[in-house]
Amino acid sequence: MPRLLASALQLRRDPRILKLPPYLSLLCILVGVAWLFLLPLDQYSRRTYISENALLPGQVHTYFGGSDQNVFRAYKHEVKELIGQTNTEINDRLDPLLKGLGLKTARQNFTYHAAGHTYAGENLYAILQAPRGDATEAIVLVAAWENVRHEINRNGVPLALTLLRYFKRWSLWSKDIILLLTPDSIAGPQAWVDAYHDAHDPSRVSSLPVKSGLLQGAIALDYAQESRFDSVHIVYDGVNGQLPNLDLINSVNHIASGQMGIGVALQEMWQHNNGYRDRLRTMLRGMLRQGFGLASGAHSSFIPYHVDAVTLRPFGDGWQDEMAMGRVVEGTFRSLNNLLEHLHQSFFFYLLMQRDRFVSIGTYLPSAMLVAANFTIMAIALWVKSGQPTEGTTTTPATKNTTPATTAERDLFVPLGVVALIHALSIVPLYV
Amino acid sequence: MDGAMVTPGRTAGLFAGAAVLRLAIFTLLPKLPDLLTGRVEISTPVTSFKRLQEGLFLYNHNVSPYDGGVYHQAPLFLPLFSLLPDFSSLPIFTYLLYTAADLLSALALWKIADSGEAGSSALFTSPRKGKRWSGFIIAALFLFNPFTVATCLGRSTSVFTTCAILHAIAKAVSGAPFGAMIALSFASYLSMYPLLLLPPLILLSYDRQRPERATKSGLKFAATCASVVAGVLAVLFQMSSLVTGSWEFLPSTYGVQLTLSDLTPNVGLWWYFFVEMFDSFRSFFLAVFWLHLASYVGGLTMRIRRQPLVVLTLLMGIFGIFKPYPSISDTSLFLALVPLYRHVFPLMRYTFVIAAVILYASFLGPAFYHLWIYAGSGNANFFYAITLVWGLGQSLLVCDLMFAVLRDEWEVERPEMVGKEIRQI
Repeated sequence: MPRLLASALQLRRDPRILKLPPYLSLLCILVGVAWLFLLPLDQYSRRTYISENALLPGQVHTYFGGSDQNVFRAYKHEVKELIGQTNTEINDRLDPLLKGLGLKTARQNFTYHAAGHTYAGENLYAILQAPRGDATEAIVLVAAWENVRHEINRNGVPLALTLLRYFKRWSLWSKDIILLLTPDSIAGPQAWVDAYHDAHDPSRVSSLPVKSGLLQGAIALDYAQESRFDSVHIVYDGVNGQLPNLDLINSVNHIASGQMGIGVALQEMWQHNNGYRDRLRTMLRGMLRQGFGLASGAHSSFIPYHVDAVTLRPFGDGWQDEMAMGRVVEGTFRSLNNLLEHLHQSFFFYLLMQRDRFVSIGTYLPSAMLVAANFTIMAIALWVKSGQPTEGTTTTPATKNTTPATTAERDLFVPLGVVALIHALSIVPLYV
Repeated sequence: MDGAMVTPGRTAGLFAGAAVLRLAIFTLLPKLPDLLTGRVEISTPVTSFKRLQEGLFLYNHNVSPYDGGVYHQAPLFLPLFSLLPDFSSLPIFTYLLYTAADLLSALALWKIADSGEAGSSALFTSPRKGKRWSGFIIAALFLFNPFTVATCLGRSTSVFTTCAILHAIAKAVSGAPFGAMIALSFASYLSMYPLLLLPPLILLSYDRQRPERATKSGLKFAATCASVVAGVLAVLFQMSSLVTGSWEFLPSTYGVQLTLSDLTPNVGLWWYFFVEMFDSFRSFFLAVFWLHLASYVGGLTMRIRRQPLVVLTLLMGIFGIFKPYPSISDTSLFLALVPLYRHVFPLMRYTFVIAAVILYASFLGPAFYHLWIYAGSGNANFFYAITLVWGLGQSLLVCDLMFAVLRDEWEVERPEMVGKEIRQI
C-alpha cells in the first residue's frame, strides 16, 4: 500500500498528467450531453403517477353543464359589453355581479416600476366561504382580463364567473374558493399574491382588505379562443424556473384526458406523436423556459409562495365546449378540496416530456453535473498551470528528484477585481 | 504589497472607509440589517440581536429576561443596551456601537500583525518571515471581508466576543499578560467557548513577557493567569447576578450552550444530529461532541508549542466548525487571522480548492435554506448538506494551514529536505 501511494505521488509530478484535463473536460461535456439525449427513451424516463392519495382525481361526477350554459351566455354578453373599457369601469361592473352571488368582494390597487416600465391597475377578487370549512385554507381561481399574449380572455372571465355561481350552490367545499380577476397576467397576480402574504411594499401595492386562509392551490384560466376546442394546454412554469408539484399537473391531466376525453398538451407542442423527437423537443422547451425564468402565465407568481398553480389554456379545433372546460376546473377543484395537507408527496424538480412521462431530478441531474464538472476540472488545471515557474524548467522524467515543489506567486488582485466588477454589473438591468 | 509606507492619513482613511461603509448601509438600506438579523447564518440563538431586544424589553419591564426562554446571552449586555437610547426611535447609537466594536477589533488585529509574532515567536523564527503583509492590509482584509460586514450589519453580539478575543491576543503579544487575561475573561463571559483558548494564550503571554518584569517559573505564571481569569469571571458573575437578581442566568446562557436545548438551524454540525437523535443517547453524544471540541486544545498546544499564535488561529478555525452554535462571524474571525501567515502561503497546497468550496457554500447555502423554508421544494437535508460542505471548506483550510506551518518548522530542523516531496500520514 505505501508503495502504491508513493507511485501515485510520483505520477502526480508526471508532465503527462497536466495534458489530461482538456480531454477529461471534453469527455465530461460529451457524456453529459449524450445523457441528456438519452432521457426521452422509455428506459430512462418514467410514467407519471399520482403520489398523493387524497387527491383522487377523476373519481367524482361533475355536474357543471345544463342550465349553467345559459348563465354562461349571459355573463359572456356582459363581458362583451365591457371590452375596450378601462380597468376600473370593468371592475365597477363585475363587482356588483359577484356581490349579487352572495360573495365577499374586495379590490386592490397596484403600481409597479420594474426595469423601466410602469405597471398599474386594480385587482378585483371575491371569496366564497366554505360551507364545511373554517377559512384556514383556500383555493384560487384566476381569470386575467388579458393573457400573456395580450388577447382578451373572452371566455375565461365569464366561465370563471359561471363556475363561482355554480360552486356557490354546492355544500361540499371544505376550503374557501377565491376568484381573482386581474387586469393582466403578470403584474396583477403578482401584486395580489404579494399582498396576500404581506410581502408587498405598501406604498406601491395596497394591502388586501379581506383575506382567507392558506392558499393550497391555484388554477388560472386562459380561454381567449372563441370557437370550440380540442385539447387543453397546461402551462406550469413559474418565475425563476420554479415548478409546481407534479401531482397537480398529473391531476389535471388525469381529469382532462382520463375522465373527460380532452387531449392535453405541454410546452406549446400542439402535435405530439409520442415519438423520440417530440419528447425531446418538449423537454428541451421546458428546460429553455426554466432557464429564462420568466413568468409564463397568471399562475407563475403563485409558485414562489409555495402555492402550486397551473394555467389551463384550451386550444385547437374540436367539439369540446366551454362546459367541458368548466368540468375540468370543477374536477380539479374537487380534488384539491380533498387535500388534507399541502401537496408535498410528488416531485418539485422534474422535466416533463409528454403528458404522462417525466424524468425526475435523480435521473437528469448527473447530466447537468457532468457538464458543470468540466468547468471545475479546467479551472483546477489552469490554476495548477499558472502556479508553475515560468523560467524554462523542462525537467526530463529521468531526473526524478529535481522537480521543485514550490509554486510561483500568482497576482490575483486584477482578475478577482474584474470578476467582482462583472458580477456587480448584473444589478444594472434591474433598474434600467 | 508590503505596505511599508503606511501614513497616518492612510490609516485614518481605512478606518473611516470601513465606518462609512457600515453606516451608509445602515442608513441607506434600512431593511437590509433586519433581513440579515433574521438569517440563520448570522444570528444564532446565543448571539441574535432580535433575542437581545426581547431580553431588553423584559429587563426594562422588571421581568427576568430569561423568562420565556428566548434570551440566552450574557446579562451584562442588558444594562449596556439600556443605556443607549431606545433602538426603535434612535437606532444610530446602536449602529455606532457595533461599528466601533469592529474598528476596535481591526485595531487589535493591526497590533498583532505589526508585532511580527506570526513570523518569529520567542522559540521559533521562520526563514520565510520576510514575506508578510503589513497591519494595514490585514486590518483592511478584516474590515472589508463580506462576512465581517454582514455580521456587523446583522448586529450579532458575537461582534463583541470577537473584539474581546482579538484584544486578548493583542495584549498578550505586546507583553501585557494581565490585560490579556482580563480581555479573555470578558470573551469567555460573553460566549463561554473562548475559555478553551486559555492554555495557548497563557503560553503566548509567557513567551512575550517584557524582560524587565518576567516571571521565570512557567507554573507560577500559569497559576497567576488562571487565577486572574477566575477572579475576573467571578466578579462578572457576581455583577450579573446583582443585575438580574438571581443566578438563573447561568443555566439560561451557558447551560443552553452546554446542553444545546435550542435546536434552531445554523451553519454548524450539531443541530441536525441532535434533532435526529433519540433522547436516551442525547447526554452521551453531548459529552462526546464537547469532548471532541475541547480535545483539540491540549493536542495543538503541545504539538505547536513553539508558535502559540498558530494554535490560537487554528483553534479559531476549529471552533468555527465544531462549536454548538457557530455562525459566519466565527469564520470571519478565523479568516481575519489567517493572513498573518502570509509567509507560509506558498507551502499550502489546496488554496484553490478551499476558496472554491467556501465560495460555493456561501452562495448555495442561502439558496438551499430558501428551498427548504420558503419554497418548500427542498427539505432540511438540503441545508444540512451545504453546511457540511461549508465545514469541509473550513476544515481543509485549518488542515492546510497546519500543514504549511509544520512544514515550515520542519524545514528548519531538516535543511536538506527543503523543496522535497513529502508525504503526510
